[in-house]
Amino acid sequence: MQQETDLALITAVLNGNTAVYSELVNRHQRFVFTLAMRFTKNREDAEEVAQDCFVKAYRALGTFRQTSKFTTWLYSITYTSAMTALRKKKLTTISLDDEEYIVRPADSSSAQTADTIEKKSAYVYLNQAIDSLLPDDAAIITLFYKGEQSLEEIGKALFMDPNTVKVKLHRARTRLKEKLQHLLQDEVKELI
Amino acid sequence: MKTIEEQIWDYIDRTLDREEQESMQTKIVTDPTYRKIYDELVAVNLQLQQIDIDMPSMAFNRKVMDQVALEVAPVALKTKVDQRIIYTVAALFVLPVLAILLYAIAQTDFKMFAVNIPEMDLDFSAYFTPLFVKIFLFTDMVLGFICLDGFLRRKKI
Repeated sequence: MQQETDLALITAVLNGNTAVYSELVNRHQRFVFTLAMRFTKNREDAEEVAQDCFVKAYRALGTFRQTSKFTTWLYSITYTSAMTALRKKKLTTISLDDEEYIVRPADSSSAQTADTIEKKSAYVYLNQAIDSLLPDDAAIITLFYKGEQSLEEIGKALFMDPNTVKVKLHRARTRLKEKLQHLLQDEVKELI
Repeated sequence: MKTIEEQIWDYIDRTLDREEQESMQTKIVTDPTYRKIYDELVAVNLQLQQIDIDMPSMAFNRKVMDQVALEVAPVALKTKVDQRIIYTVAALFVLPVLAILLYAIAQTDFKMFAVNIPEMDLDFSAYFTPLFVKIFLFTDMVLGFICLDGFLRRKKI
């Protein structure tokens, strides 16, 4: 249903009602921004990338063939915009492989910290863990679980083979599982 | 060779075919090792479904629309490349080829083929009469008006 509405909005924009584009931006801005965040790792750059993505999408709207989902097409633009931004700014990204960046679990001996952990909901740790993944892996996890994209569609958006996407998805989930266990320790036993 | 974890992820993602899916289901039910890993992965899967997505600044939409306002309005590719333009360009290529072909045929000495064909005496001036020119110009003018009308309609002037 959303897909049809997206197409209707695109048709309206192409027929000259350019103000309608605002609705498309409104609808997809959160996900495009989140996806950009997975690559840039900071809000300012992510917002710039997301903005650039929507402007590029507007320029190329006439070339959208409507054979795939609008979101898949939009995410592929987000990916290329993010890659261009990363190349330009040579941003340093943090990976789970980086020895220097290891998210330490809270010290269970500290009553105050333990209390803070209790207050934090599981998804905070989850997002923290996702942020520490390799950018591609974090993007794949986000697209798979929140973007309603199949492995093939993720492959299209990130210019990868679906099998590569599958391998990366598996790797990312394994790391997230380890990471969650590492971060939450006792709490994870309740979750898992 | 897939690990047990990979196989179970495939089962959870439903990327296995029907037989494999059923076989995996049986293993999960009967084998405690598979069951334990399955329970763990289902819990992780549930957690991953709760990923929160971020929100850009409040002014994000306005900033995008400000930039978009500076851009040329997009048009569908099919309207961008008008079929009539393609046909006109094709005609411009085909007509000279045809003209050359006709001229070549007209200039050919068919006597060399020992066939008695009378020489063609083409006198185009007989066809380009003042009436023909008037009709031609009038048709052009009508076509011009049709094009202008279409253009003004698109621009909504």
